[in-house]
Amino acid sequence: MYHRWLWPAFALPGVLWLVLLFIVPFYAVLGVALGTVDPVLFQPVPIWNPLDWNVGWLSEVLTRLGPGGIWFDVEVRTIVYVLISLALCLLIGYPVAYYTARHAGRWKGLILILIILPLWISYMMRMLAWVNLLQLNGWVNSVLMFTHVLSQPRDWLGGSASTVIFALVYGYIPYLILPLFAALDRIDRSHLEAARDLGASRWSAFRTVTLPLSKIGILGGAVLITLPMFGDYYTPNIVSGSPKTTMIGNQIDLYFHGGPQPTIGAALTIVMAAFLLVLMLYYLRSIHRAQHETGAVGAL
Amino acid sequence: MTHHPKERANSLSRRGFLLRGAGAAAALYGAPGLLAACSNTTSVPAGAGGEQAGPGGLPLARPNRRVILPRWEDPIESGLKPETGGTFTVFNYPSYLYKKLLTEFGAKHDVAVQYTPFDNINSGLQRLASGAVTPDVMEITPDTLNIGVAGKLIKPLNLDYIPNLQKNIWPQLVDPFYDGESRYTVPYTCYATGIAWRADEIKEDIAAMDQPWDIFWESQAYSGKVALLSENRETIGMALLRKGITDINTEDPALVDRAVSDLKELYGICNIKVDDLQYQTVPEGSSWLHQAWSGDMIAGYIYYLPKGTPASALAYWKAPRGKVPVQNDCFAICSTTKKPVLSHLFLNYLLDNGIAYSNFVNFNGYQPPLNEIDPSTLVRKGVVPENLENSVLTDGDFGPSSLQYGTLTSRGQQLWEDGYSNFLAGGGS
Repeated sequence: MYHRWLWPAFALPGVLWLVLLFIVPFYAVLGVALGTVDPVLFQPVPIWNPLDWNVGWLSEVLTRLGPGGIWFDVEVRTIVYVLISLALCLLIGYPVAYYTARHAGRWKGLILILIILPLWISYMMRMLAWVNLLQLNGWVNSVLMFTHVLSQPRDWLGGSASTVIFALVYGYIPYLILPLFAALDRIDRSHLEAARDLGASRWSAFRTVTLPLSKIGILGGAVLITLPMFGDYYTPNIVSGSPKTTMIGNQIDLYFHGGPQPTIGAALTIVMAAFLLVLMLYYLRSIHRAQHETGAVGAL
Repeated sequence: MTHHPKERANSLSRRGFLLRGAGAAAALYGAPGLLAACSNTTSVPAGAGGEQAGPGGLPLARPNRRVILPRWEDPIESGLKPETGGTFTVFNYPSYLYKKLLTEFGAKHDVAVQYTPFDNINSGLQRLASGAVTPDVMEITPDTLNIGVAGKLIKPLNLDYIPNLQKNIWPQLVDPFYDGESRYTVPYTCYATGIAWRADEIKEDIAAMDQPWDIFWESQAYSGKVALLSENRETIGMALLRKGITDINTEDPALVDRAVSDLKELYGICNIKVDDLQYQTVPEGSSWLHQAWSGDMIAGYIYYLPKGTPASALAYWKAPRGKVPVQNDCFAICSTTKKPVLSHLFLNYLLDNGIAYSNFVNFNGYQPPLNEIDPSTLVRKGVVPENLENSVLTDGDFGPSSLQYGTLTSRGQQLWEDGYSNFLAGGGS
């Protein structure tokens, strides 16, 4: 009896953590999104009983997000920004993780520290630092003009999409590199040696062995950065400020900012969560498959 | 297109029922029993007035429609001694009151003064209602006053403790339209909404234009350097004023929709931005043309103008009286206070000539409505440069014909919020 409960008991703190910090708050957001509003204080009045839930706000949010709705453009823009940022993060992050895992040797620890180092400073502070660097007379323009990349200073902070995407990439890339590094570092070198022994070129060995075996790391890193990116609102606020570069998180922020319709913000959060849940399910399915394939490779 | 609340799918919800109840409630001017009938904040009193009502069924005040709010409890008696010891908490916007003055008040009355900031007044009131904070006094605005009173979040005042109100403050704000007899509030700062710009970058003579608000629609040359305030009332209200519509409290969906459509034209014209950093970005030169409150330019001149940049680089325009939106912030005593007498004394302290003036020129930049402040004196003293003299307001700016953003009905607030959401979404123009 004692042994039967001992090992599962180790999971108890994690389960409590999950219940207290995820399931309960999520149910609270659900109660708000499907609840009502105090007509005097405009405070959300959650409805806890699912039988009494009011789906009107959800339906309103879905209408606004649909084609022709007032949020359709911002919804598409958010997806495009996140996808481009993710692609750039992979393009930049994968070689860094690959080099660190495979070729950094004794410098591996130092490189990892350097990757993590920016995370010691708050995200907001890092973004504000970029605001200074990206000013018309800032260092970025100075360097680009000195190297003749630009003939005149560029207004990076004038409300451009490229600056927002750049900031997203900068802000989130360390979170992609770390799981990627972990996945690449775990790959057994004998698999690569076997591929090379069987006549595979370097590129072919990478494409057929390393890349598939690092799929878990790619997916894990991608999930880790896309989830917060979808909810980001402060990055476009800080480095742009233009409505043409706002993201869906800005709308959630607007409706949670003390106005008369906090339920709209909560309902939008629920819709976003449902969308991200689909991505998560895809990730879980892929990871399950990848583990299966990795197991098969390992067995060879 | 902005949705009219009536079109919403959730109109059959319990919420919709409550809101309809609020909309139908009577607008009873000074009806003393109104709140007494409310057993809690969600109750909406019934009435037969037929006029639109704000939160809690309280009447909507307008500059030409004075409202005396009902007292939900009696004020404290006169002649009581102030409480001492412990903590005295001021609930306000961040950095909106000179800390040195708070410390001096605390030392004088043997209390530790704590400053608790909020993001905005609505969220502050929500935190107060939830019990998350228990301040003694708080900043409040006329358009959120109904929430404070209907929610029984602020206490009625005994003006015997606040002689400085009558003695030092502009007559228009001693007995203001939004709080007749000053039953709940005293004024704190005042400001107008206009246009701030860098005179060394903007070529147009904005003040000389037939309709200066048009400058935003003619600012192609300044793309990326043009911004509006990040406030739904201010942005949509400005677009209404540009078209000559002076009812800046309209709840007509067609007018609000039209204003939002006009604002969306600005995406293509100047890649318009929205923020509330004009007090910093205009003096520093990262923004050249910005919708701005008058106090921003004074604060910007005092604190943010870089060395070597002359004051003449800053310019401000506001419309003439009757066409310019003006507002004032207030202070009130929270119902959570354990020091009601001291809270009254604090309000009186804020209205002291020396204290209010020091808060203005040494920290805040937003002028208090003091009788002794006049634009030419401030210019003579060097507090305000001559070219920004028009950013100083006077009592006459707050008359019955002034334009002021007032409380809207719940539906009106939704309409404006959704309109701003549409603008902020940056879609189609």
